[in-house]
Amino acid sequence: MLLPMLPPMRLLIGASLLATAARGVHAQQRASTPSSPASSPTMTTASVDTIAGASAQPPRTIAIDERLVSDKGLRLGDTLELSASPGGRGERVVVGAIVRRAADPSEVARAEYRVRLHLDQLQRLGGIGDRVDRFAVAVTPGSTERALAAINARSFGFRAHRSSDVAAQSSRTFAVVSRFNRAIGVITIVASAIFLLCIMLLKVEERRRDVAALRLLGISRRTITAAVVLEASFIAMLGSAAGVAFGYASSAIINWHYRGVYRTPLAFSIVTSETVGFSVALSLVLGLGAGFLAARRLTGVPPLSLFGR
Amino acid sequence: MRALLAWSSLRRHPLRTALAILGVAVSAAMLLDMVMLSSGMQVSFRALLTRQGFEVRLTPKGTLPFDTEARIAGAASAESVVRRLPGVQDVSPVLGTTLHVVRGANADAVFALGIRPAAQGDYTLERGTDAVDVDRMVANATFLTRAGLALGDSVVVAAGYDAQLHMWTARRRVVIAGEARFHYLATDQPAVALPLATAQALVADGGGGSPDQVSLLMVKTHAGVDAEALRRRIEREVPRVTAIATADAVKSVEQRLGYFRQLALILGSVSLAVGFLLVSTLVTVSVQERVGEMAVMRALGVSRPHIAQQVMLEGLAISVVGAAGGLALGLVTARYLNTILRAFPGLPAAIDFFVFEPTAAYKSFALLIVTAVLAGVVPAWRAGSLPIAATLRTEAVS
Amino acid sequence: MSEPVIEVPMGPPLLEAVDVARAYALAGVPVLAVRGVSLTIEEGEYVAIVGPSGCGKSSLLNLLGAIDQPTRGRVSLRGRDVSRMSDREATDFRLRHIGFVFQRFYLMPMLTALENVELPMAEAGVASRARRARARELLAYVGLEARGGHRPAQLSGGEQQRVAIARSLANAPELLLADEPTGELDARTGRDVIALFDRLHADGMTIVVVTHDEVLARAARRVVHMVDGAIVSDERNAPAAAGGPPRCTTSPTATDAPSPFRRPPG
Repeated sequence: MLLPMLPPMRLLIGASLLATAARGVHAQQRASTPSSPASSPTMTTASVDTIAGASAQPPRTIAIDERLVSDKGLRLGDTLELSASPGGRGERVVVGAIVRRAADPSEVARAEYRVRLHLDQLQRLGGIGDRVDRFAVAVTPGSTERALAAINARSFGFRAHRSSDVAAQSSRTFAVVSRFNRAIGVITIVASAIFLLCIMLLKVEERRRDVAALRLLGISRRTITAAVVLEASFIAMLGSAAGVAFGYASSAIINWHYRGVYRTPLAFSIVTSETVGFSVALSLVLGLGAGFLAARRLTGVPPLSLFGR
Repeated sequence: MRALLAWSSLRRHPLRTALAILGVAVSAAMLLDMVMLSSGMQVSFRALLTRQGFEVRLTPKGTLPFDTEARIAGAASAESVVRRLPGVQDVSPVLGTTLHVVRGANADAVFALGIRPAAQGDYTLERGTDAVDVDRMVANATFLTRAGLALGDSVVVAAGYDAQLHMWTARRRVVIAGEARFHYLATDQPAVALPLATAQALVADGGGGSPDQVSLLMVKTHAGVDAEALRRRIEREVPRVTAIATADAVKSVEQRLGYFRQLALILGSVSLAVGFLLVSTLVTVSVQERVGEMAVMRALGVSRPHIAQQVMLEGLAISVVGAAGGLALGLVTARYLNTILRAFPGLPAAIDFFVFEPTAAYKSFALLIVTAVLAGVVPAWRAGSLPIAATLRTEAVS
Repeated sequence: MSEPVIEVPMGPPLLEAVDVARAYALAGVPVLAVRGVSLTIEEGEYVAIVGPSGCGKSSLLNLLGAIDQPTRGRVSLRGRDVSRMSDREATDFRLRHIGFVFQRFYLMPMLTALENVELPMAEAGVASRARRARARELLAYVGLEARGGHRPAQLSGGEQQRVAIARSLANAPELLLADEPTGELDARTGRDVIALFDRLHADGMTIVVVTHDEVLARAARRVVHMVDGAIVSDERNAPAAAGGPPRCTTSPTATDAPSPFRRPPG
């Protein structure tokens, strides 16, 4: 992939921190019916007849963001005027397609509208001449490295990058979020482990007289420990099942909420079999471990002491 | 005596008490971190934006600072109109662009700011002198290190590459006069600053249009001026710009990073719930173990409220000690988590996600204490309501 | 052997129970633990309530001590009806007028012997210096002045019970109620405790004990027999000179410490 050096601030979080809605081009709507309202300084209305008779060339088509459809009431076939500056001279275009937002994480925080034009039309509108931001180069399988080297040997002022490297670069933001979430997860697990051990100690000690009586009857420490661990494993399994169910429900709620907030089809939370497996394994280990430690502690005390003598 | 009894009850099972305190400490640490996170970005970003006293920022219509390559045309006239408005103390124009530092056959891209040194608020000079002359430049440490340059070196900065002729349409030789720390850029981002006129000329000569354009106008107000009113006035007087007050910028950032605030709220609530459950369970079991003692105390004449207070003191003691430990632990974990989040690409170096403010600590502490009190209410009430005779009978039999 | 003790009732009765009954619900079925008991105890008396297990002795003691409220009837101490008091009034009354000793001692395990004795005084609002001094006095009275800094786990059963007795005397009660005070003790330490009760009685304390212990029952001056929640007999024990049981007025634990609650005659 050929890339000139991008302005360094044009990275997701930099943009996120300093931008809200960005409009690269400004759209003015020429309404197809007189009843369509003017909605912002960049949108004006005029009659279709005026527009229809003013141009010799049929207007070219563009594709618009589905958000424009829902927010501004645009429809297929609507005629718009596009200009590169507010109130500046523009070109008439017709809405030929509506594009759904992709489930692209890098698009999540961006609230601006998007339109797609033919390249030459955008170059002309923007007054930027024969310029592009980047090329995407498709190569035959297995020849990526050769193509990369060949292009870079000849390029000046721009460089070619592997798409995977670009993806890794633009994923840095999400790598940070992942690390953060993982750190929070670790802290939560530590807190849960302490809590579990404390509760298990409490619950097992509540039954110290029963344990004392059993020991006096001749039941071995091993048997009692096994019984407590078995009980702890049962509770851990039940708890794990409840936790998994809660996790699924929470994941669904998270996706429903953030999809609504960011207006994206992106899945923010995915419960995979690996995640479930890891969580269940961890909770079983913690539960059994806590039960074992509590049981060993209790059975290590002489029975008469457990009776308080 | 009540405090002594509560303390003696906690000392009776030191491991259990220690674990409970540890559990509360971890919950308290998490709670403090979440309180810090929920307000940290706002505090940090506001401090960044108002650093040099610029309360209003003007950008090309419909954009926000440096979000696109759009520029404000007719910058000089826009600046002049704004300067004449009442309440305006100073205006700092800024042009942001990508230039290339040409060395032989190589050219390294660098983010460049065109500024007016006397009025700029984008960087702090750390060494050397400012870019007051047309052929002077300041750079940050990252640029100097990566380019292998030092103060006093002269370099060629260029713009407008012609791929067919393999040459730059705009070139200037400048001297690196000073090293600066750029407030709004990430630490690992190479950056330079040149006099505005030099940058504008380079951009124009490089095919970027008229030289009379800037990316941003920063407006400094006199003390006590209503920034929002000024903002609206500017937008009326100069319709080709969007005026953004600091408050709006902070709000928009909060909206973008609302995920973290919501996460903070959820995790903070979970922490409180965990702390509540821990204290409540511990105190409940403690009461159950000592029903005989409590019935005897009642028989001896200790009143119900005093029994209940003793029980609640136990829960409170665990929470207070745990909260104190949690405060220290929370500061450590906050620093660690902040380090993780500061790795966001493009994040200005001055931004922190976890900002410690005393109010955050007080808030966390108060929440924990309230939780501890609530956690002890039911077991305390039960302890005070024990039927004396029946309990003594049950205890005698067992 | 000391001279026989002659008890002479002085003034109105200290404690009076009139037709008291107490019913409990056991699996939904009402069970009468105490059936219409009437009992009068004079000041300075030493009464033992005896009977088989489940006859209602402890239930009656709880009623006499305002720990429990009768289903029917009235209990009054110095003419004051304690059976209809609110919980707060009854609690305060027990704190200031009644001392309790239990079979299982029920000392607070993490408090020292001294702190255990101080507990009722702290509840009564006595200043710390004063209550500490009195606690030492009481421990000396029971022969444990050197053990004040020890926790219950460091004391023998007999020593713990003596600390419990000292605790029961903290607020100078008018009446001492004891429920099986020797139930958890061996014979030897039981005799020490019995001797202590004798000394208390000699110093003017009114004592009511519930017991299975024959030695303790014989040490009392009056024995009330209960069966199935009712009093079946109420006898005075013969004085020692008349062949009654010996009075243990001295014991290995007796000290020269003055009684901290000696009551003036009359």
